[in-house]
Parts: sequence; C-alpha cells; structure tokens
Amino acid sequence: MATQTQDERVAQTSLATKMLQRPELGALIGAAVIFFLFWSVDTTGNFAGVGGTAGWTDIAAPIGIIAVFVALLMIGGEFDLSTGVMVGTSGLLAGLLATEYGLNIWAAIGIVFAFALLVGFINGVIVVKTGLPSFIVTLATFFVLRGANLAVTKELTGTVRVANVEDTTGFDTAHAIFASKMAIGTSNFQISILWWVLATIFATWLLTRTQFGNWIFASGGDKNAARNAGVPVNRTKITLFMMSSLASSFVGIMLVLRLQGMQAGQGVGMEFFYIIAAAVGGTLLMGGAGSAIGASIGAAIMGIADIGIPYALWDQDWRWTFIGVILLAAVLVNTYIGNRAKGAKR
Amino acid sequence: MTAIAMELKDVGKSFGSVIALSNVSVKVREGAVTCILGDNGAGKSTLIKTLSGVHKPSSGVYEVKGEPVSFDSPRDALANGIATVYQDLATIPLMSVWRNFFLGNEITKGWGPFRRLDVKTMKEIAKQNLLDMGIDLRDTGQQIGTLSGGERQAVAIARAVYFGANVLILDEPTSALGVRQSGIVLKYVLSAKDRGVSVVFITHNPHHAYLVGDYFYLLNRGQLANEYERSKVELDELTKAMAGGAELDALTREIQQVRADS
Amino acid sequence: MRGPNLDIKKLAVLTGVVALTLAGCAAGADSDAGEAASTETESAATETAAPANSDIKICVYTHGDGGTFWSVAQAGAEKAGEDLGITVDYQGSTNDSARQAAIIEGAVSAECDGVAASAPDPGAIEQAMLGLADAGVPTVTMNSGSAVFKDLGAFTHVGQDEIVAGREAGLRFNELGATNILCPIQEAANIGLTERCQGARETSTGTVTDFNLDGGLQDLTAASAKIKAALEADPTIDAIFALNADIAAKAALPAAQELGRDLFIGTVDMSEDALNAIAAGEMQFAIDQQQYAQGYLSVVLLYLNVTNAHALGGGLPMYTGPGFVDASNVEQVIGLVAAGTR
Repeated sequence: MATQTQDERVAQTSLATKMLQRPELGALIGAAVIFFLFWSVDTTGNFAGVGGTAGWTDIAAPIGIIAVFVALLMIGGEFDLSTGVMVGTSGLLAGLLATEYGLNIWAAIGIVFAFALLVGFINGVIVVKTGLPSFIVTLATFFVLRGANLAVTKELTGTVRVANVEDTTGFDTAHAIFASKMAIGTSNFQISILWWVLATIFATWLLTRTQFGNWIFASGGDKNAARNAGVPVNRTKITLFMMSSLASSFVGIMLVLRLQGMQAGQGVGMEFFYIIAAAVGGTLLMGGAGSAIGASIGAAIMGIADIGIPYALWDQDWRWTFIGVILLAAVLVNTYIGNRAKGAKR
Repeated sequence: MTAIAMELKDVGKSFGSVIALSNVSVKVREGAVTCILGDNGAGKSTLIKTLSGVHKPSSGVYEVKGEPVSFDSPRDALANGIATVYQDLATIPLMSVWRNFFLGNEITKGWGPFRRLDVKTMKEIAKQNLLDMGIDLRDTGQQIGTLSGGERQAVAIARAVYFGANVLILDEPTSALGVRQSGIVLKYVLSAKDRGVSVVFITHNPHHAYLVGDYFYLLNRGQLANEYERSKVELDELTKAMAGGAELDALTREIQQVRADS
Repeated sequence: MRGPNLDIKKLAVLTGVVALTLAGCAAGADSDAGEAASTETESAATETAAPANSDIKICVYTHGDGGTFWSVAQAGAEKAGEDLGITVDYQGSTNDSARQAAIIEGAVSAECDGVAASAPDPGAIEQAMLGLADAGVPTVTMNSGSAVFKDLGAFTHVGQDEIVAGREAGLRFNELGATNILCPIQEAANIGLTERCQGARETSTGTVTDFNLDGGLQDLTAASAKIKAALEADPTIDAIFALNADIAAKAALPAAQELGRDLFIGTVDMSEDALNAIAAGEMQFAIDQQQYAQGYLSVVLLYLNVTNAHALGGGLPMYTGPGFVDASNVEQVIGLVAAGTR
C-alpha cells in the first residue's frame, strides 16, 4: 500500500472558503440584506440617511456593548442570563445611592461597578465549583436581582422608580461622559455609539490577539483538553462572567444618566437579545467559536429592524416575529457554512 | 546501563476501598519507548493519571531523574517536563492548528496591557515543526478539526516535543484510528524518540506496541505482571501474555475438552 | 476544489426576505389608509400653508403593552387617522422607558408632524420630548403625565388622572358601604396603579390595603389563587378594588365565588367579561378612562395644531375619565366593548 504525501490529503482551501469560515461575514451579508430590505420599504425617506442611522445606532449601541461580552462568555462555553436585570440593578443602585444617600454620582458609579464585578465573580465561582450549568446559576441570579430591584426601590423611595437623578452632585460630568449626544443636522447621535465601538474593538482584540483570548476559545472548545494543556479554565470563565456583568452595569449607568432615573423593571427581558445578537453574529451556542464583531453586527441588525419596521409603517408587533426569523436563519446559515468550511463530518 | 528518566517504585493507588493500583514498579528509560500493555479494566487509566499528575500515589515513590516528586496538577507535571497526550482530549477541534499548537504556551510580544499574540511567529513555528514531523500544512490557520484523527494526534505529539517534554506519555494514541492513521502516529512516536524524548506508550494493542517499543510492561488488575525487553521477546509471546498467559492455556484446554465431549 | 456551494445560503436569505416582505404586506394591508402617504420627498414638520392630509403623520408613542387596554387606545388613534385621512404611527414600548425615549428621540427622522406620548416616567422621556419642542414638533401627553405635561413641552394632556380615578372609586365604595378594601396591584413597577389605590385610600371611610399581585395578568389562575389566599387570611375584607378588568373578572371574582364570599368588586377599565359580570350583579362598577378617546383625541388635537395652529386645553389637562359604568348603563356599553372600541 503506497503511502500518500500529506499535502494531498489536506485539501486546499480557496479564498472564498476561508472568508466564509469567518463567522462575521455571514452576519454582515445578512445585515446588508436586511438593511436593503428596509431601505426599499421606507416611507419616510430618512432610513438610509442621517436620521435613520441615528435611530438604529441608538437602539443597537446598548445591546451591542453587552452582546460583545456575552459573545465572549458564550465562546468560553457559558451563558449569563443575569445581564438584562443587572442593567436595571446598576441604574437603580446608582440612582438610589445618589438620590437617597446623597452620594456624588461618580462615587455611586464606582460602587456599582464594584458590585457588578462581585456579582459576576459569584456567578463564575458557583458555576466552576459546583459544575452546575451556567444557564441555571445565572437564571437564579436573575431572579434574585429582579426581586431585589423592586423590593429595595420600593423600600427606599416608596415608589417603583428612581427619579430626579439630574439633581445629584456630579450629574453633569457623568452625563457628559456616559449620556451626552452630538447633533448632526436635526438628528442626535448618542455617545453610547462611541462606547459601543470601543467595546467591540476591545473585545475583538482580547479574543483574537491575546493569550487570554486563546484561553477563551480553548475553555469553550473543550475544557478538559484545555486544562490538560495547562490553560487556567476556571480563572478564565470567572473573568468572563465578571466582564459580562461589568458591561451590563456600564449600560445601566448610561441609561440612568440619560433617563434621569430608572424604573424598577428596567432591563428584564433583554438578556435573550444579547444572546441572540451573539448567535446571529456567528457565536456557537455550544461554545468554542464565535466573534465579538459578529455580536455587534447582530445588535446592529436588531437596531435596523426596530427602526425599519415603523418607518415602513408596518405593525411594530412584527418585530418579535422578525427577531425569531433572523435568529433561525442566522444560525442555520452559520452552521451550514461552518460545516462546509470545516469539511463536514469525516 | 541506560539512564532512567522516570520511575515508579512499588506504587499503589486506592480510592476509598477500591484498590486501583498496587505494587506497580515501572522504569522508563531515557530515549527509549516503554510500552505499558493492558486490557480494559487493568488500571491503565489510573496509572496514566498518576504519571501525568492528576492523582498522587497512595503509596510508593514516584521519581523523576532519580528525585522523588509529587505533582499537584498536570500543569505541575508539565513544568517538570512530563507531557501527557490523551486519546481524545488532545486537541480542540474548533480551534486552528497554530492555536492548538501553542495552547497554554502562547508567544506574545509587547508588554503591559498591550501584550498581544505574536501570530506570525507562532504560525511559522507550528508549520515548521509539523513539517519536521512530516505534516505539510498549507495554512496552520485552518481548524484542527479538518485534519484526520492521526494528524491531530501527531500535532499533539509535536506540540509536546516542541515544548521540551522529556517524557511523553501517550494514552491509547492508536485505539480510535484505522490502520493507516495508526501508522502515522507510530512513525511520530519514533520521530520523537529520535529527538531524545522518552516515550511511555500505553495501549491494549500488542501489535502496535511491538512495532515501536523497546521495553514492555504488562498491567493486569492493577498490578504489574511482567517486564519484557524487546530483544528477548517475540510478538506472539507478548500477545499471549496479554491475553491471559497461563490462565488462557487452562481455559483453552477446558474448552477443547468440552468440544471433544459434545 | 471550488468554493462552497452558495445555493442554500442564497435560498435561506431569499426565503427570509420573501417571508418578511409578505409579512410586511399583510401587516400593511391591515393598517390604515396612511400606507399611500409620504412616499414623496419629505416635507417640513410645519408649513405656513396647511399640508395636504395625506402628507401629515401623527405619531403616538406610548409605554403600552398591546393588551386589552392598549389595543383599544391604539384602535382609537388609528381610527382618527383613518377618519382624517392622515398617517398614524402607533408604537408601544411595553413599559420600557429607555425604549420609549429612543423612539421619541427618533420622531423627527421618522417624519412625525406631531407626537403624543404617555408619560408614566416623565424623567425618562424629558430630554426627548423637549428635543421635539426645540425642533418645532407639537406634542401632547396622553394616558399618564397629567401633572407634568408642561414640563415636557406638551401643550395639553389627554387622559384620566389616576389619583382622581382612585378617589372617585373610594367614594363609590363608601356608597356601597365597603369597610375593608383589597387593592391588588398587578404590575409592581407601574406607578399609576399605586396611585389609584392611593386615591381610593384618600376618600374611603374604610381601609384600603395594597396587595402585590405582580405578574397577575400573565397568569390569571395564579393571581386568582393569590387573591383567594388574601381573602382567607382576612375574613373582614368586604371589597376588592381591581385595577384591571381581566384581574377583576378572571381573578378577583372567581376567588370570591370560590370562597362563597359576597364582596363588592369594582375595577378600572373594562372588558366584555367584566361588563357581563356587572350586568349580572356580580360586580358593582367599572371605571372607564375611555382610552379609545385618549388615542382618538390625541391625534385630533395634534392634527388641529398642525393644520390650523390650535393649541387646545388652555394649559390644563383634558380628562377622558373617570366615567363609571355600572348596572344603570352597562347594556349600552357592552356591545362597544365587544367590538374593541371601548
């Protein structure tokens, strides 16, 4: 039996295949298609212009900031369902500290960030030490925080929201950093967009260009193999949980400053949008592969739809249906492309 | 007298009341391939985990280069030059070849918060090392899952050798592979040996063991039954010894009796 | 080896696009005549000469959740659009003030000539509303925000004051002779509901106790069980002031009936079941804030402002309620509720 040389068995990969191996490209094509769809049914004439862009970036940014870190966590093999409610907890906590206890907003923000890191740490430690699915552990956190948001707010303010945050000390500077906007023509572009871009760049760099990023891929790809290779899997996962919590609290701070207060129910329900954005962007639900840029593209798609649907004068209830359709389509397309690019099962 | 890279002296391992290993004495000679043969249930898994640092021996002494050691984790053992390549946990399918190659040992440049991966260098080194082992990959950026099983094992072995393993422990490297794939792996085992690495080859396939081994140990029910040297043993003797030796003879006679009677 | 076959990928994308377009057409066919409007180049928000009706777009951006209450308000707004021949865009943010603020913020780009917004959390939408005022887009508040509409730059408010509604309910309960009233709150984060109980407390000669029934609308059987438990815990409760018609008819009433307790039950807002219960004497009254009119009037008020520069209301809120529906007038109203317009 003749032995064949190695390179014949390793099939040559064309450039197109290589490009399509990148999960972001599928998401980008999808985003372009959806954009053109809504552009074609736009009744206002502003969708593709400054006004429409200001609108969808405003919706996409707070989703994107959290989605990129949720994507990192998912690549690392875990889920965090407490992200949405953490947005609420962070805004409420900052608002309460400033309005009920007279703290300078900046001090309140510092405390909130520390609190978020702590919650993320607890999530992570419980997951790695008990071996319970992170879905369950963070779901528990979700309920704990959800109840606390309501109970503590009612206890301290007598109502179900925090208000008058604009009267607190340090508000103006904090507002400038986290919640200001820039006018272009008659449209306002929020500073959250800048933070979104920075978050995406940072997360992408962390994932693809650092040692820690390699550990993320390994921990999600096969945590036992990773451990055998010497990767500190537990530490990696705990760090990822802390990052997703911190990102959530960042958005919470942005919101409480922009809205000058916050309702006790804020954020609940958003946790699935972050996961969907990550999945649409090419992050596998079972971990080991994905993209932070993809998650941002997923968030952009959500923003585009949220603005495009009313611009088309469609009933806005269709946005739910739309999200379901793009999620399914995105996951199918990515799985198919992924399989083809990997050469499928042998 | 060849030097001893690693030795287990009368090692035992128990989990509660279950005795997984007892009176295990193995000498791993430097620059040679030492095979540990045993059927399923013989205690191979526990033995490997003890050697690789997952477990600590309950009794006996584990020595590396003549010095007693006690490893807290596989990472600890790795730091002492003992690398273990597991049957199915060697590489991560979704990650690229170069990422797998440098997993846990990534090369970085820059410092402080700007420390980043030196992707170009890592790709080059991975490509070169694999080439030295006989695998010519056009692009080490492809997912390692696209390589065949044997090639993936080869990458794992190349990785261990590159990162300065003195002792390479291979856990059933050919058991899940076909004939041709096994051939690849066995060639790399010899390749590693040529570079001066001491190999511990654990398998239940005496044919494969005989192809590359210099010394053979038989593990049966947690105890080390026999040690053989290559020059002094034939393949069928090994096979028979693995299959049960004297017990098999007795069984054969008994069955022949039964068949003759019926 | 050729690049991967793109057919299935194209097919998936194409299917998605077709599905979406069909869905959109279906939705568009349902929505009002405004579809044909505004395909021309955009016109300015206000012009010196009154714009043609077909060019006018009024946007109604509420915090509503699309349930039995809000769908009626939406129906009112959209009917006004139909009757006037203008485009009406209704969006409810399902209690998410951040979302509502973002939507209002985008009103100018959405080519809204006027905006009606509900303001349960005025601080959240303040910036967006004032931004509209700066841009010369007229606004009114509706449903909630009667005390703050001026701070938001709106020229009037259309709705019912929650405290006033509560007070009137308290007086009603006094007339009925109720001494211990349970007030279940089915949305813990909705301040309007708390205000209703508060209003009742102010005028009632008996006691009014708030009761946490958060999530009640999503699970009415559970809500009923919880109310039953509260009733069992306190046998002196002789009335329930429900804050939603479904809670009244499908949670409170069954709970009372199961325990065989004869309670006075009054509710806020109406539904077919609640009105039938009133007609049958099982419930005593329903407070009607006439949300259909809230939607309808908001659109008309803005329309008049855009076309004829009217700023109605005299700087005061315009009330659409509380109207009381009880045994004396329930028959008239039942048919309208069934039609989805009350």
